[in-house]
Amino acid sequence: MKSVLTTVIASADAAGRFPSSSDLESVQGSIQRAAARLEAAEKLAANIDNVAKEAYDACIKKYPYLNNAGEANSTDVFKAKCARDIKHYLRLVQYCLVVGGTGPLDEWGIAGQREVYRALSLPTAPYVEALSFARNRGCAPRDMSAQALTEYNALLDYAINSLS
Amino acid sequence: MLDAFSRAVVSADASTATVGDIGALKAFIASGNRRLDAVNAIASNASCMVSDAVAGMICENQGLIQAGGNCYPNRRMAACLRDAEIILRYVTYALLAGDASVLDDRCLNGLKETYAALGVPTTSTVRAVQIMKAQAAAHIQDNPSESFAGAKLRKMGSIVVEDRCASLVAEASSYFDRVISALS
Repeated sequence: MKSVLTTVIASADAAGRFPSSSDLESVQGSIQRAAARLEAAEKLAANIDNVAKEAYDACIKKYPYLNNAGEANSTDVFKAKCARDIKHYLRLVQYCLVVGGTGPLDEWGIAGQREVYRALSLPTAPYVEALSFARNRGCAPRDMSAQALTEYNALLDYAINSLS
Repeated sequence: MLDAFSRAVVSADASTATVGDIGALKAFIASGNRRLDAVNAIASNASCMVSDAVAGMICENQGLIQAGGNCYPNRRMAACLRDAEIILRYVTYALLAGDASVLDDRCLNGLKETYAALGVPTTSTVRAVQIMKAQAAAHIQDNPSESFAGAKLRKMGSIVVEDRCASLVAEASSYFDRVISALS
């Protein structure tokens, strides 16, 4: 899983050397930023159900045709799956906040995403709307500190870009 | 390869839950500088540690450097020094990552079988690793034994924290123990 720590170790290993002082510098840089990331991860974990629910409601509100017969949000089973998908993205965002890199989103969310949505004929626009809603809903200092919110929004932007 | 953070993520993903135990990771962050100092203490003393460990192993078992021994001639002694350095390097990586996966995947996986095929004696290898374990503890604590080191005494600086990074000493020791149990 790609993170600052593993990247540093992988490159030191490729050269067959012990961690150098510049390796340790870059690890320290990531550690200094980590407090904000972990704060965001903690707050998101505590509220992930509400955040996912609001994001889901927002995208269905913008694309009400999804409720029509045969569409992706038409039955209770489909509705539950849509809500679960949104929560999956938020969970992966939380993982990225913990790891300090986009590894979890890349490996578990984005890889194969296009193929899966095409095979299931799912539109990506509602996902974009849901994640954009979540991205604009966060507010500092009400929800978390300003720096934590910046980290959180950056990862939501990353997920949004992967879908658009 | 995983680190302390991605390990938490992978185990949370197994139950599709969010990462709950942020406290342990916060502690990792809070003691981050200690960890970097510990890694630096080992990396800066690595060649000294390696040559001492191999020399110590040979001291206790002179047969190794006699004809037919595994550290005779120079070519095989050099291979032995190289291997000790490789093991110490992966232990250092594991200590930096806060997780043993890099040590397991890239160093220990298949090492026992390789050594068996090459006829490397396990007991001697384990002894050298044990010596490196003691050295690593002394260097992380920055408390090397004056009576043993004599004129070669090496120190990193003055004491920074009162407990002398006891938790990191324990963590580093656990990685050395992992090497020992993988070999024996």
